[in-house]
Amino acid sequence: MGVPGTGLTGWHDRARVGGSAIRVRGLRKSFGGKAAVDGIDLDIAAGSLAGLVGPNGAGKTTSLSMMTGLLRPDGGSIQVGGLDVWEDPPAVKAIIGVVPAEVRLFDRLSGAEVLEYSGRLRGLSAAEARTRSTQLLDVLDLTADAKRLVADYSTGMRKKAALGCALIHNPSVLFLDEPLEGVDPISADVIRRLLTRFVGSGSTVLFSSHVMELVEQVCDHVTIIDRGRIVASGTTDQVRDGKTLQQAFIDLVGPRATDEEVLSWLGSSSS
Amino acid sequence: MARLLVQLKLQLLRNALRSSTPAKVSFFTSCFFAVVVAIAAFVALALLRGSATSVDLTTVIFTAFAFGWLILPIFAFGLDSTLDPATLQLYPVRTRSLAVGLLCASFTGAWPVANVIGLLGVTVGLASGPLGEVVAVLAVVLQVLFCITLARLVTTTLARLLRSRRGRDLAAFLIVPIFALYEFFAQVVPRLAAAGKLHASSFAGFDSWMRWLPPGLAAHAILDASTGHASTALLRLAILAAVIVVLGAVWIRSLGRALVTADTSTQSSRVHGAALPFARWGTLGAVAARFWIYQRREPASLVYWALTAVIMAVASASAIFGKQHHPAVLLTGAVFGAAFVGYFHANTVGQTGPPFIYEAMALTGRRELRTYFWGQDIALTVIALPLLVAVSLGLSAAAGRWEYGFFAAAVAVAGTGAALGISNILTATLAFPMATRAGSPLRQAAPGYTAYGLGGVLANLATVAITAIPVIVAVVFAGAHPPVVWYPVLLCCAAAYGFGLVYVGVLLAAIAAGPKLPELCQVALASQL
Repeated sequence: MGVPGTGLTGWHDRARVGGSAIRVRGLRKSFGGKAAVDGIDLDIAAGSLAGLVGPNGAGKTTSLSMMTGLLRPDGGSIQVGGLDVWEDPPAVKAIIGVVPAEVRLFDRLSGAEVLEYSGRLRGLSAAEARTRSTQLLDVLDLTADAKRLVADYSTGMRKKAALGCALIHNPSVLFLDEPLEGVDPISADVIRRLLTRFVGSGSTVLFSSHVMELVEQVCDHVTIIDRGRIVASGTTDQVRDGKTLQQAFIDLVGPRATDEEVLSWLGSSSS
Repeated sequence: MARLLVQLKLQLLRNALRSSTPAKVSFFTSCFFAVVVAIAAFVALALLRGSATSVDLTTVIFTAFAFGWLILPIFAFGLDSTLDPATLQLYPVRTRSLAVGLLCASFTGAWPVANVIGLLGVTVGLASGPLGEVVAVLAVVLQVLFCITLARLVTTTLARLLRSRRGRDLAAFLIVPIFALYEFFAQVVPRLAAAGKLHASSFAGFDSWMRWLPPGLAAHAILDASTGHASTALLRLAILAAVIVVLGAVWIRSLGRALVTADTSTQSSRVHGAALPFARWGTLGAVAARFWIYQRREPASLVYWALTAVIMAVASASAIFGKQHHPAVLLTGAVFGAAFVGYFHANTVGQTGPPFIYEAMALTGRRELRTYFWGQDIALTVIALPLLVAVSLGLSAAAGRWEYGFFAAAVAVAGTGAALGISNILTATLAFPMATRAGSPLRQAAPGYTAYGLGGVLANLATVAITAIPVIVAVVFAGAHPPVVWYPVLLCCAAAYGFGLVYVGVLLAAIAAGPKLPELCQVALASQL
């Protein structure tokens, strides 16, 4: 599938035509009359490790679901690797990997089986799927648990297995929703290094997170979303504007004021 | 503490009334059945007056109630917060006062009251004289106390297991014997009674080995008191009370342990074999492998297959136990069996739940969707055909009409094709989220989608019944004793016909599912499994 008249064939080439690995314009989605995503525009360059941050209910998961073809938008357009997600879903699905926020895998398969199944569904030969599955389990430190049912995995292990499923077909763009939630620091470091290496090869990662320190450390691009709208987007340094990302986030989104005086009893040992 | 836990139980009941409509319906249904059970048990026990086997039948009913108290709390474990000691683990409560409180909470609610009222039927049916009446009331109170203490002991002992994945898996299998038992009493017992094979004297001597068990002690104490054997009656009640005290002591010890023992971390299951099977068949093999593994490892799937066999047996009951022994009923059993194979496996998207999105990401076109549906149909056919054919042959042998086993098998084979075809189409067109509710081991339609589930049953039954007509016509055409060569020909034709039906179903399902994949993903994500 090339781009007519350009001689470009690969997805990276197509991305360069548009300048972005992910390009979103006027994306909208409402639930019961309430706008969850209210006309967002977003450009993520190929080879970026981009973070999407925002408070609870800001529209992060809804946006990622629409970008990955899992939720039909009310309006707007999304291009991934130069391909329109909603005009050509099969072509986009072939080049992306997804780890949803609430990881629910086939819990009656073992860790090895679930990765191999993902690989074979993605068209890999059984032997190749098995080889990649073994390698990914090794890198993700799941080899010792490869034959255990996913039903018996902890939250962090499920996240790692889901990441393996998302990577097994070597996608060009990876979408991760809260990838490090519930993951222990050592595993988080493994995932961080894996993502950095993945991006270093020219692939793109867009992930949502609440952990500002993590986003600040690993992301070269940050987008802050609040109440379904993007309030800031750019390189991490641009968004921070000389402050910590945490402070910049609070300044942009605004602190949620609460009257803490009513808790005057808290801290006394009398009752 | 007792007052607080009783208030907690009442608050939980009030909250059930204030919550969703399905919860309200469930609450009122439960209350309705409690009233029915109370009235039915009271009347049944009262009607035993003057019967030669009154004490035997009273023992049977008392034992049935004890059995119910033993089993049902295992299902209700997630429904009643007062059943799980872990919910109270964090509070500074002494074990003994907690035990008294939990016991009082157990007495609160429609079912314990229904229990007492129903069993008081013995004051009419078995007791006579002032002493008999007093002992009857005491015996009923002790019997209910025994049931509750036994239930508490079982749930506390099993609490750590029931919270684990493996425990819930084991609990799921209990539904099969309970369903079979229910159907036995609803379908088989009335037919046996009508055929004169089951009557009151059938239970004579039942209590010769039950009389020294707690329910038998209670029943016999009433009889002894009513026939002037006061000391024997009191001895029996004393033994029953001692049993309750021992059970209570064991329960309190178990409760004390449960409060300070770490939760059971599920003992991990390790799987055998290095890889998914059917490697050489690409995506088709991968999907078939996934569904094949799930049929073996998912308790709900195993339960569905067992229920299919029970449903076939129940639908064929009148051919085996009835007066007429009409063999055509066996064909009905085959139709029901095939239809429920389809129903239990329709709505694959909702049943798979959120993991479906991993499959959806790879289902990039109509061809892949066809492969997906074929994969699951192959895995299900490998189990459905041998099961349905074997049950058909077994039921026909039980009915004494083996030749109808082949006819029923032919209907089952064609019906399985129709059922899988329609279940694929329903998966693509009428997918709905499923939910597993606390206390129920099986998946049900999520709140608000019950009509979809019922529609699935009706659609499967109607489709299988209609598409089985050509096979039934062929059976009628063959007559009662066709040449032997007719049987394999009929089976082969039925198999080809069934394959054609699956083929059409897969084609239509893939066409329908293609443009709806995002919506199907949302259905899958809405499932709470």
